Amino acid sequence: MSFDVVLRSIFSAAFLASVLRISTPLILPALGGLITDLSGAINIALEGIMLVSAFTGVIVSAYSGSVGLGVIAGVISGILISYVLGWFHLHMKTDIILAGIAINILATGGTIFLLFVLTGDKGNSQSLASGTVPNIHLPFIQDIPFIGRVISGQHVFVWIAFLLTWLVAVYLYRTPWGSHLRAVGENPDAAETMGINVNRTRMIALLISGFLASFGGLTMSMAYLSFFQREMTAGRGFIALAAVYLGGRKPWGTLAAAILFGFADALSHQLGSLRVPSQLVQTIPYVVTILALVIYNLREQAIKRDRQRKFYEQQQAEMGSGGGL
Amino acid sequence: MKQKLLVLFSFVLLVSMVLVACAPAAPADPVDEDEDVIRVVHLVNGVLGDKSFFDSADRGLRWVVDDFPQVQVNTIEAGIDPARWQAALEDAAANEEYDVMILGTFQMSEFLERVAPQYPDKYFIIYDVSVDYDLGNLDNVYSVLYKQNEGSYLAGVYVGLMSETGVVGVVGGQDIPVINDFIVGYEQGAREHGVESVIVQYAGGWNDPARGKELALAMYQQGADFVFQVAGGTGVGVFQAAQEMDTFAIGVDSDQAVIIAETDPDQAEHIPTSMLKNVDNSLYRAMSMFIEGTLPFGEAEFLGVAEGGVGLARNEYYERITPDEVKETIEQVEQDLLDGNIVVDTVFN
Repeated sequence: MSFDVVLRSIFSAAFLASVLRISTPLILPALGGLITDLSGAINIALEGIMLVSAFTGVIVSAYSGSVGLGVIAGVISGILISYVLGWFHLHMKTDIILAGIAINILATGGTIFLLFVLTGDKGNSQSLASGTVPNIHLPFIQDIPFIGRVISGQHVFVWIAFLLTWLVAVYLYRTPWGSHLRAVGENPDAAETMGINVNRTRMIALLISGFLASFGGLTMSMAYLSFFQREMTAGRGFIALAAVYLGGRKPWGTLAAAILFGFADALSHQLGSLRVPSQLVQTIPYVVTILALVIYNLREQAIKRDRQRKFYEQQQAEMGSGGGL
Repeated sequence: MKQKLLVLFSFVLLVSMVLVACAPAAPADPVDEDEDVIRVVHLVNGVLGDKSFFDSADRGLRWVVDDFPQVQVNTIEAGIDPARWQAALEDAAANEEYDVMILGTFQMSEFLERVAPQYPDKYFIIYDVSVDYDLGNLDNVYSVLYKQNEGSYLAGVYVGLMSETGVVGVVGGQDIPVINDFIVGYEQGAREHGVESVIVQYAGGWNDPARGKELALAMYQQGADFVFQVAGGTGVGVFQAAQEMDTFAIGVDSDQAVIIAETDPDQAEHIPTSMLKNVDNSLYRAMSMFIEGTLPFGEAEFLGVAEGGVGLARNEYYERITPDEVKETIEQVEQDLLDGNIVVDTVFN
């Protein structure tokens, strides 16, 4: 494949559309990871929750014939799984990392087992006629040359991902519950003395993360693809956790980090067409991550230095004026 | 307290004694009395349900069980974690009751080279790879390989004749010799029949259909109108991409259009043919020869188009989508392969 064709594909509307498509199942669980991380009880079971929701959504929509019921069941299953995680961690005092690993293993094996019981197939659910969520075609906007092809025709979860990012930002920084949650994460003892129920706050954070991650799972099986396949989340729940930290533990930062991962992935798909070693192309997402971390840290340090310099100058000025008196 | 501990201890002792007493009774299993029974263990270093490679092997063994009632097959799935495969083979070789152990893939050949000499009275059949017979001591191992390059050459000729854009793609699961053997054959066939550009991409895994879909979409976007998938479970996403873009995909290993048609006839319309790698036939053939006592242990066999090891699927979709002159050319090329008039490139020597 010649270089100019690849270049043209990268600067096309279809490429940006694919970035959004690839990012969505990262953004949603990443938001869930963010909330639990800020509450001090990090949910590393995002991967397992996504799998269970992806599976439940497909099964319920196939047997009920209703996409809506499938989505609702998928979300409920995700919340239930995170309740189990919360119960083990907050009531039974299990280490949350340990409980999270257990849930991930349970989800991998459990979904395959139930898939086999229900369909007699250990690979995927293609023998079931499950539904998919609708794509949103925006009137007027879809006629705009470039932008129309990027944002119109995407499935509904892409929009939900952006909407939920905004809602999470509002929840965390504009509501009392959000400040309680952050207080619990910063210093649980201090929050406790202020009368905040630490366990309840963390449980709520875990339940919300289950809600958010379940949309990520449903994106995989009811929007991106139209079936459930064993282990189909393929590590996205863990990449989402990386996005939380790359995004500086902020909602919009997390969204940007998830989109960066999506971009790197989409880029590797396009560049892979060139005759370069496949191993090199497959490193692109990781190289981009490291570069982003370096840039982020350099910027943070620059800001810190800047602040220190200003503080020093201010002090100098104050001392200077003080000396004059 | 002490008394309770004593009671507990004696209880544990009692239970373990009962268990020990039970142990020697196990070999009295009626199966062992029967000398004619052939016990087969199929060790899958992965999982069933991939709709292609391992499912094909499993299907072949089920045919064996149907036709030869004296054969009993026990399947062990070792899972997708490669770190556990060696242990799974060693455990199965030491602990299972079997006469013949069947396993596949190049990842297992080195492990088998070490394990097989330890059990000289057992037989081993390994498919899709050959053990290194120069090591000696491997007289109880039969290896069967497939000329996937020949089958893929046919698929390449097919897309070469069918492609309108002159650009075709192939999605491989991993950058490994067996997969590259598919790809060189495909590329050769396609280029000899008018394709200018063959896009090659590897998904880096066998169980990520979303990635398979995305890779195929990128290829279709870059002008490809046919994409050949050699990526197991990842490849299922390639079919969805073909359906979405209203282009074509070529299946692999099994007749995938027929499998998919059961639930999604519309998607099957986008899979005009599949490159068959008849693991099922080869294992059925091997087991029937084993029963006859003619299976050549200590050797490797290559099955190509001539032996029915590989080929193109000719189902209703193929018949409907393919123009007659293309069908004729495919038959001609197939004949040339049989006669040895065409030599297909390979990554193996």
